[in-house]
Amino acid sequence: MTVSLAVNIRERVQQIDTMPAIPAVFLPLLKMLGSSTEEVKVDEVVRLVSYDNTIAAQCLRVASSPLFGLAQLPRSIKAAVISLGLRRVETILLTCCLGQAFPPEKWPLDPEVFWRHSLGCAMVCRKFSEKLISVDGEKAYMAGLLHDLGFMVNCLVFSKEFAAAMELACREEIPLYQAEFATMGFTHCETGQALAEKWKLADDIVEVIAHHHAVELSQNARPLVALVHLSDLLCRMRGLGYGYYERQKVDLISDPAWAVLLKEHRELEGVDLARFTFELDESVAEIHTLVATVFGSAPARS
Amino acid sequence: MTSTPQSALTPLASGKIPEAIDPIYRQIRDLVYKVSGIYKAEEKLYLLSDGCARRMKQLGLRTTREYWDQLTAQPGRDGELRHLLNEITIGETCLFRSQPQLDALRKVILPEIVKEKTKQITKRLRIWSAGCSTGEEPYTLAMNMLEESDRLLQGWTVEILATDLNDRSVETAKAGIYVDYALRSTTDYFKRKYFTMVDEKKLLVRPEVKKLITFSRLNLQDDSKMLFMKGMDLIFCCNVLIYFDGVSKSKVINHFFTNLNFGGYFFLGTSESLMKLNDQFHLVHFPGTIAYWKPSLSSGKL
Repeated sequence: MTVSLAVNIRERVQQIDTMPAIPAVFLPLLKMLGSSTEEVKVDEVVRLVSYDNTIAAQCLRVASSPLFGLAQLPRSIKAAVISLGLRRVETILLTCCLGQAFPPEKWPLDPEVFWRHSLGCAMVCRKFSEKLISVDGEKAYMAGLLHDLGFMVNCLVFSKEFAAAMELACREEIPLYQAEFATMGFTHCETGQALAEKWKLADDIVEVIAHHHAVELSQNARPLVALVHLSDLLCRMRGLGYGYYERQKVDLISDPAWAVLLKEHRELEGVDLARFTFELDESVAEIHTLVATVFGSAPARS
Repeated sequence: MTSTPQSALTPLASGKIPEAIDPIYRQIRDLVYKVSGIYKAEEKLYLLSDGCARRMKQLGLRTTREYWDQLTAQPGRDGELRHLLNEITIGETCLFRSQPQLDALRKVILPEIVKEKTKQITKRLRIWSAGCSTGEEPYTLAMNMLEESDRLLQGWTVEILATDLNDRSVETAKAGIYVDYALRSTTDYFKRKYFTMVDEKKLLVRPEVKKLITFSRLNLQDDSKMLFMKGMDLIFCCNVLIYFDGVSKSKVINHFFTNLNFGGYFFLGTSESLMKLNDQFHLVHFPGTIAYWKPSLSSGKL
């Protein structure tokens, strides 16, 4: 990427903050995400969640989803926060905020498809991390949720160019990042990185956003980037991709990202990948329902 | 955005709450997987529970717990497992059973094999439908290959070998007459192009399709015969290995591996897997389906 292109991306990304759609809780939330879990108080999270009625309602709906596996549906914000745990509430809140921050009216990409992929990848990241020893599942979840942040930037500030990329990807049945590169000369990885840095997201999350299509470029968070890379591929192969047929063969075990992860986690050798794939299918229907409820036109808000 | 349906994974209708699942079905699911490699994902557990219900009725059992005992306690547990496997795979014999598999074949695998073999003098593609039952699979493959005959496979010779242990199945397969139920996934386009009408409810496969296929009786456990099945590019073996015990299964899989050309693919049933019975094959993903790949010499992945 040329220097002028990088400057251009950064300048265009600057516009995002001046847009009115960003919910008021968003920036305090980002600050909270940057601090360690011990420093975050339950009441503070409850306050943040309750700040905006629409977001509160969305949060409750997401929290009630079987994805989070609560035995009882939460009746109040506080109950939801306590039973879900702070990290989960943070990621739920983030999902809801992002949904509002990027109004999807003119997206070249179907927003429901985008959210299905993002939440799907988040779910796969968490399930994947459950197979590994001492991996923070909620961190992985958040990384999966945010990895394609750049698509939102592209939808919003590079709408015309991105529409052409989308059209090429569907027509040629190629991965979207390849189509982006062919038509725009850059991808959602760069635009996502620019926004993530501007928002001061955690360094490892920034690396995930920047390098999930080229794991070897990650300097300080390679295992997490590898985990997201593999989960992203799995999602795209199991019905949670970008809504079109991607003409490709995915050999996860031969993927360099697998070797990266295996170096840190020998236990990966024992994973039955076929069974893992079938198990993931169980959550696909849930993701569809969840996204239709939270982001789609479907069911009224509670 | 134009979108193509991506996989066979159908979401639940929005807002529909699934009924609570008897935990014994999950136990049975795990047992079935361990024995056969077939995995029924949560949203397809009804297929398993329906199968169990039919078996319970035949056996005069009233509770799932009693049925679990039947499946796990000697004597007769192997026999009962076999009955159950029959029940849960019964609906899978129809033409065009798995569209994601056919898409992977035509959109990804064939172009790859054709490219790999361009330098060979004889352009020949060999496919083996192992355990072809009453012929639905080989005919489906033959029709799809004919569709490519003036495109990808122009100038190629396609040979399909279809074998089954059961003489009666082989005879029925040779006849090539199918009723509505077997044709429920066959589009009008294929019906018109590749069948002639026998009567209102029966269609006969056209001679040009039959010409591609050689039917014969073969026992997959007959080692001496298996040695003569070499040079295959694709092997399909759907819901056959599930009835074999671990040792025989491993042996047959090894034969398949040896009989495949480098760069060839091995396909199982939709929810079937090799578990971890073979570490030479690479499990590979295509949109909505998995297959096992014998790496090509040029891939450097052997």
